[in-house]
Amino acid sequence: MKHLKSFFSFTFPLVVMLLMFAIYLIVTKVVSNYKENIINDYAIVVISNTPLGTIDELAGIDVKEIVPLSRKKIIKNVQQNLSDTAIDLLEKKLPYFYKIYLDDFPTIVKLQEIRKELKKISNIKKIETFSNDHNKLYSLLILVQNIIFILFGSVLILSVFLLSKQIKIWFFEHNERITIIQLHGGSLLYSSKPILKIILASSLFSSIVASLMLFLIMTNIHMLIEPEVMTLIPTVLSMEIEIFKIFILSVIIPVVTFFGLLVKYKLK
Amino acid sequence: MILAKNLTLAYDNKKNIIENANFRIKEKEFIFISGSSGSGKSTMLKSFYGELAIKKGNLFVNKHDLAKKDYGKLLSLRKDLGIVFQDYKLIQDYTIEENIMLPLKVHNYADDVSKTQVKKLLKHVKLSHKVGAYPAELSGGEQQRVAVARALAHNPSIIFADEPTGNLDDYSSDMIWTLLKNANEHLGITIVVVTHRIPTDMGIKYRRFNIEEGIVYEAS
Repeated sequence: MKHLKSFFSFTFPLVVMLLMFAIYLIVTKVVSNYKENIINDYAIVVISNTPLGTIDELAGIDVKEIVPLSRKKIIKNVQQNLSDTAIDLLEKKLPYFYKIYLDDFPTIVKLQEIRKELKKISNIKKIETFSNDHNKLYSLLILVQNIIFILFGSVLILSVFLLSKQIKIWFFEHNERITIIQLHGGSLLYSSKPILKIILASSLFSSIVASLMLFLIMTNIHMLIEPEVMTLIPTVLSMEIEIFKIFILSVIIPVVTFFGLLVKYKLK
Repeated sequence: MILAKNLTLAYDNKKNIIENANFRIKEKEFIFISGSSGSGKSTMLKSFYGELAIKKGNLFVNKHDLAKKDYGKLLSLRKDLGIVFQDYKLIQDYTIEENIMLPLKVHNYADDVSKTQVKKLLKHVKLSHKVGAYPAELSGGEQQRVAVARALAHNPSIIFADEPTGNLDDYSSDMIWTLLKNANEHLGITIVVVTHRIPTDMGIKYRRFNIEEGIVYEAS
């Protein structure tokens, strides 16, 4: 009973932390999925008096492609109501239209920077970023992602505190054994091997529980969130990488906490 | 083997327990350290295996300067020592076999070599029938014999014994003295024993240090 209690005192905060991390991973995936979807449709339209040269990047975002809009097509759309002289004049005076496609979807701040950079290029008359359509939802998603990250960070700090407390209890429980082994020339690491084994077993157990919970959440996500928001969830959400990340975190955090305490004891 | 030069010992900068001790213990010697209760004999023994830091002076054990606080070197020194405690200090959730195997594991001996050595030692301390037992299932005398077997397991150069018969009856005490004498006589291991009760019929040559009011002197 005592062993079970100490086992759960260790695994519970670890599972909570891993679940928070799993939620953060899901939201990150949703945001990146949304970004990928909108970036294909999104372009900045630029009107310039002269042909536009090459632009490699804007506000640190790589420019994927610059597509000139056909001037003839534009004239064709309006030529019905114009005389031939007016069309000739229009052909001479009509500016150049371009669609700039980016590699990444820009935030509002980045868009302002892009605007400034484009304005610096002489002969650019007008810039249209079409920011309002996508940006509200994107900003909201980023906000949710940030809040969850902060929550995850707080849970992580609390978990490390609880894990270190439980590891200290284990060190105390194994104190006699550790002392005897050290008196026989065994190092602190060698003498505390049984604690490390408990930690690794608990970490494995926690990562399995957290992975199962992530799997359950993802397979039943339609029951957990509103149908309107379902469109944001990627249709194919591979969980292998997420589960691997959870496993790595479940091992790294307790092991680093253990070695931190080991160094502390050694310095003592 | 052991050399003390102006050795001064104290707990946490309090009053000195041992003051300016000077002595030398040579290889293969059998040494008794005696004195009244609280005279500092166990304290001095603790300093020999680095459990107590030296306040002043020098103490060399197997040429290792214990005044230098080097954790790695201290561990390597301890690997070459055997220690027997009054309260046995056996690991309670290890079997007798595992307890005796402990120094061999620290030395990274192969499992089969360790098992053969343990078997031999258990026979030597007359506990072959208790191989799978746990310390709690043994009497005090039997536990101390296991502790002696553990101290002998890796053929140490020195065995330190702190009141090894302090908690034992006469029969068990005799067995422990015989084991320690044999280790000294037949294996050439230096033995340093802290005791307030030196057996009358040791039957071997030994030297005795006495401690009185912090002063260590060789008694005749």
